[in-house]
Amino acid sequence: MSEMLQYDFMRVALVMAVLIGLTAPAVGTFIVQRRLSLLGDGIGHIALTGIGLGLLTGTSPVLGALVVSVLGAVAIEVLRARSRSGGDVALALLFYGGLAGGVILTNANGGGSATLQSYLFGSISSVTVSDLYVVAGLAATVLAIITLFGRELFLLCLDEEVARAAGLPVRFLSVLIAATAAVTVVISMRAIGLLLVSALMVVPVAAAQQLTRGFWGTMLTAMGIGVLSAVSGLAGSFEYDLPPGPSIVLLALAAFVAAVTGGSVVRRRRARAALDGVAAGPGVEARVDAEAEVLG
Amino acid sequence: MNPPAKDPAPPFAMTGGLVRRDGREVLAGIDLRVGAGDVLAVLGPNGAGKSTLVKALLGLVPLAGGRTEIYGVPPARFRDWNRIGYVPQRLPAGGGVPATVREVVASGRVARRSRRRPAPFTDRAADRAAVERALRTVGLTDRARDSAHLLSGGQQQRMLIARALAGEPDVFVLDEPTAGVDARSQAALASTLHELTTAGRTVVLVAHGLGPMEPLITRTIELDHGRIVRETALDTLERPA
Repeated sequence: MSEMLQYDFMRVALVMAVLIGLTAPAVGTFIVQRRLSLLGDGIGHIALTGIGLGLLTGTSPVLGALVVSVLGAVAIEVLRARSRSGGDVALALLFYGGLAGGVILTNANGGGSATLQSYLFGSISSVTVSDLYVVAGLAATVLAIITLFGRELFLLCLDEEVARAAGLPVRFLSVLIAATAAVTVVISMRAIGLLLVSALMVVPVAAAQQLTRGFWGTMLTAMGIGVLSAVSGLAGSFEYDLPPGPSIVLLALAAFVAAVTGGSVVRRRRARAALDGVAAGPGVEARVDAEAEVLG
Repeated sequence: MNPPAKDPAPPFAMTGGLVRRDGREVLAGIDLRVGAGDVLAVLGPNGAGKSTLVKALLGLVPLAGGRTEIYGVPPARFRDWNRIGYVPQRLPAGGGVPATVREVVASGRVARRSRRRPAPFTDRAADRAAVERALRTVGLTDRARDSAHLLSGGQQQRMLIARALAGEPDVFVLDEPTAGVDARSQAALASTLHELTTAGRTVVLVAHGLGPMEPLITRTIELDHGRIVRETALDTLERPA
C-alpha cells in the first residue's frame, strides 16, 4: 500500500476509487429498489457512442459520454413511462444501438481496439489530475442531489402511486434518478470501464440489503462496501498486476457472498429474538411470521 | 391536529366519470360528491372497480370521459396534496431494499414540505413529533426500527395508515384497509377511524364488508361492473359520540 502511494498516478487513482465507491452504490440503492438494476448497464452501452462522438469531433470523450448518456437516460425514462409492454424491446434497441454506434465511431476516428478496450474495461493508470477534478465535481453533484431530494426519491422508489398522491413531480424525479445514474456511469467509466460500471451500482447494494433493516442504513452500508472494494481492488490490481475494474467488481461480489452467509445468521438470530419476545406479548399472527422467517 | 379549513368546494366531486382499460369500460357514469366530514364506504364484489374509483378520484387513473375535482380543482392542477392522505392496499415489494417502519411512516411527511425549503432545512422536530404520534396511534411504536416488509399483513396495513396520519391531512382515502387483516387489527383500525371522524376528517374507504367500522360510516355506495348500483345515506343511524 505505501509503495503504491509513491506514484502520482496511483494517488490520483485512489482518490478516484473512493469517489466512485461512494457515489455508485448511493445511486444504486434507488436504482435497485426501482427494479432497474440493469439501467446502469444500458447507459454504459449508450455512453460509448458519446465517447466515439467526443473522439471524432476532437472534444473531450468524457464530455461526449456525459452528454450522450444523460440524453440516453432521459430517453430510457420516457420510453419506460410511455409504453407498458414495448418498453423492454425499446430499451434493448437503445442499448445495442449505443454499443454498435460507439464501436463504429471509435474506429472511424482511427482508434483501435486498445482505445476501445480502455473505455470498456477501464484504464485507471491513464487518469490525469484534471480528470480527477472533473470526476470530483460530478461526484459532488450526485451526492448533493441525493441529499437534497433523498426523501422524495425514497418515497418514489417505495410506491410511485403514493408519491403521486403526495403531489411529488414523479416524472421529473424519475428522470432525475436516471440522469444521476448516467452521471455516475461517466464518473466510473475511466476506472472500472463501461461494461462493469453497473456492477458497482448494484452489487454493494445487494450485499448491504442482506444485513440491514432500513433504506438509509442500506445505502450507507453499500457505500462502505463500495469504497472498501474499490480501494482494495485497486491496491490488489497494483500489487498483482491485474486489471483494476474486474478486480474491484470481483471483490464486491466476494462481499456479497460474505453478506449472504452472514445475513442468514443475523436474520435467524433476529427471528429467534422476535420469537422469544412474542411468547410474552402479542398474538399468534406475529409468532407465525417469526417462525416463517426462521424457516425461510 | 387543527380542525379542517372551511371550504366551499367539496373534497371530491366526480361527474360522468368514465375509465377505460384496454378498451374495456371499468368505470362508467359515475356521479359522486364526497362532502367534508363524510365517511364514505365504497362497497362491491371483486373487480367491481372500487380501487379504480378511488384512484380516479385522486387522479392516479386518468378519466376517459367526465370530470373530477379535488377541492374544486382538477387533479392535474391540484396543489394542496398535503390535505390528502392516500393509503394503498399494500406496500409494493420493489427491488428488495429494506425500509424500516419509521422510514415508511416518515415518508408521509413529504407532502408537508415547502417547495422552497430543501430537505436539510425543514422543521425536523415537527416531523419527528408527527411520526411518533402516528406510530403510537396505530400501536407500532415498538416495531419502528423493524424492517417494514417483515410485518404481518395487518401490521403493514396499520403502518400504511400511520404514514397517512403522519402527513396530518384533511381527507383520508383508504384502499381496502381491512383486506386480509385479523380481527385485532380491524378493531384497532376502527378506533383510529373513530378518532379521525370525531375530529371532522373526511374518509373514503374501499371495503368488502364493514365489520367493526360499520357504526362510523355515514354513507355507502355499492359498485358492480363499474357502475354505482346502490347508494345509502346512513346519517339516520345512531353514531357514537
